[in-house]
Amino acid sequence: MTPIVQVNDLRKRYGEIEAVRGISFFVESGEVFGLLGPNGAGKTTTVEILEGLRKADGGAATVAGVDVFRDPAGVKRRIGVQLQASAFPDNLTARETVRFFAACYDLVVDELALLRQVELEERARQPQAKLSGGQRQRLSIATALVNQPQVLFLDEPTTGLDPQARRNLWELIRSIQARGTTVFLTTHYLDEAEILCDRVAIMDEGNIVALDPPRKLIDDLLGRGFTKPVLQQKANLEDVFLDLTGHEIRDA
Amino acid sequence: MRQTFRLFALLLRGYLRDRTALFFSLIVPLMLMVIFGYLNLGDFGRVSVAIDDQSKNQSSAQLVQILKGIETLQLTDLPTDQALTKLRRTELDMLIVIPQEFAIAPARPGQNVPQIVVYGDDARPQQVAVGRQIVAQVIDRLSFAITQTAPVIGVKEETVQGVRLRYVDFLVPGILGVNIMQLAIFSVAFALVADKQRGVLRRIMATPVRVPNLLAAHVLTRLIIATGQVAVLLLVALVLFSVTIVGGLAPLFVVALLGSILFLTIGFALAGWATTENQVPAIAQLITLPQFFFSGVFFSKNAAPALIRPVTNLLPLTLLNDALREISVQGATLWDVRTQILGLLIWTVAGFILAVRLFRFEKF
Repeated sequence: MTPIVQVNDLRKRYGEIEAVRGISFFVESGEVFGLLGPNGAGKTTTVEILEGLRKADGGAATVAGVDVFRDPAGVKRRIGVQLQASAFPDNLTARETVRFFAACYDLVVDELALLRQVELEERARQPQAKLSGGQRQRLSIATALVNQPQVLFLDEPTTGLDPQARRNLWELIRSIQARGTTVFLTTHYLDEAEILCDRVAIMDEGNIVALDPPRKLIDDLLGRGFTKPVLQQKANLEDVFLDLTGHEIRDA
Repeated sequence: MRQTFRLFALLLRGYLRDRTALFFSLIVPLMLMVIFGYLNLGDFGRVSVAIDDQSKNQSSAQLVQILKGIETLQLTDLPTDQALTKLRRTELDMLIVIPQEFAIAPARPGQNVPQIVVYGDDARPQQVAVGRQIVAQVIDRLSFAITQTAPVIGVKEETVQGVRLRYVDFLVPGILGVNIMQLAIFSVAFALVADKQRGVLRRIMATPVRVPNLLAAHVLTRLIIATGQVAVLLLVALVLFSVTIVGGLAPLFVVALLGSILFLTIGFALAGWATTENQVPAIAQLITLPQFFFSGVFFSKNAAPALIRPVTNLLPLTLLNDALREISVQGATLWDVRTQILGLLIWTVAGFILAVRLFRFEKF
C-alpha cells in the first residue's frame, strides 16, 4: 500500500489561535480514513487545506501525488469534495446539478449513471431543493464523484440524518471504497467511525493525539486497565428505534 | 469557452425557472412606465380656469367668448367662493373674477379702469404663468381694438418644427436606463451574496473551475435577461404609447448593453464586499437612489440642485440616460453620443477594477 495523502508538520493559525499545530500523518490508498475530534479541534481546517481551499502557514502536504501548496488546482482535479454546510445553485434539478459540477471540471459525464450509483435515478428530474436531507447528501456525493476522484473527502456526511439515512449512507461509502476510491471523512459520531473506518486519527486542540485502527485503540485502552463503570447493555435505544421503524430508508 | 457556455446554459435555465423573480423583474419596470406614461407629468396640458362673471353684460360676455376660444384654457363658470375652495385643493389652476360694471371702453379721465382679479394656484406656477400671460394678451388685444392703436411691437409666433416631444417619449429611455441599472446591481448582488452565504460558492470553489469562466457565465446570464427586459419594455412603449425611436433600435441596444455591463461590474463589486444579504439592499439603495432622482429618469437631470449638477452630470446613469435619450428622441447615432459612451467605458473600467479588488473567491 502506498500513501495517497501525506501530511508533514502542517500548521495553520488564525490570528492568536493556533488551529493546527504541526500535525503529520498519511492516508493509505484504498482505505477509509477518519479524522475525529471535538468541535474546534482543527478537523475542518485540516481537511480544507488538503482540499486546496485554504492556505496553510507551514509544513507540507501532498494529495494523490500533487503538492497541495504549489498546485491546488491539480489537487482539486483529482479529488472529490463534500463540504460541511454547503448548498447547490438555485432552481436546478438533481440531474442538472450533477451536470453543473461536471461543467466545473470541464467534463461530460453520464449524469444518470452517477445518480443511479447514489440511488437517486428516479429523482433526476426533481428540483434539488425539494430533496430530503439524506437524498441531498447522496446528491452531494454524486457531484463529488463526477471526476472519478482518487480521494473522496466527506466532512461530517451524516450530521442531521435519521438513523435509516445514516445507515444507507454508510453502505454507499462502503460501495465507493469497494470501487477503489480512498475515503477521507470527518465525523462526530464515534459509532460511525468504528464501523466505517480502517484507521482513525483523533485530533484535539490542533494536535493528533492518537492514530490507529479503531479496534487497536479500544484494545489499547482496555490494556491500560480501563473498564466501563456500567456493563454494556445488550441493546441500546437506537436498536429499539430501528427494530420498530425498520431499516428501510424514509426519503420518499 | 465551452465551460463558460455550459455553466451559462445551466445558470440561465435556473434563472428562467424562478418565475416570481422573472415576473417582478418585468412587472415593476412595466408598472413604472405605464403609471408615469399615463400620468403625463411633463405634458404641460391645459390650464384649468374658473370664471366668475359678476357683471354679466355685453363686455364681459365678449371677454369670456374670446377666452373660450383659446385652446390652452379649460374654462368653467363658478362663483368665487366655490372656485377658491377648488383652487386651494389644486383642482383648479386659476380663477378670473370679472367685476360688476365691467366695460370695454376707452378710458375717460376721472373714471376708474375696470379691474379683473386673477387668482393663481401657487402649487402650479407654470400653468398660472401661462394663464396670466394669455389673459394679459387678450386684454391688450381688446385694448388695441378699442383704442384703435396698432401694437407698437408685433410678436411673430413660431413653433419648432420636427418631432413633437411628449413626456412619454422623454420617459421611455429613462425607464430603460433605470431598469438596466436595477437589474444589473440587484440581481447580481442578491444572487451572489445568497450563494456566498449558503455555501454555494465555497462548494464551486472546491472544483477546479476557472473563475473567469464562472464570472463570464454569470455576466452572460444577466445580459440575456437584460436584453429580454429591454425588448419587452420597448415593445410596450411602441404599442401602448406609440413612442418613436428616432435613432433606431440597433444603437439603442448597443448603448443598453454597455450600460448593463457597467452596472454588472458594480453589482459584482457590491457582491464581493457584502457578507450578508441584509447589507445588499442598504448599499444598493445608496448607489441607485441618488441616480434614480438626479440622472434624469422621470424629469430633466437639470432638476438637480445647481451646486451638485457637475457631479450628477457624471453619474453613470446620467450618461446612460443621456445617450439613450439622444438616440431615441433626437435620432443621434453612436458617434454622436461618443462622449457618453466614453464616460460609460471609463466607469466600466473603474467598476471592473473595484470588482476584482473586492471579489475574492479565496474568502469563501
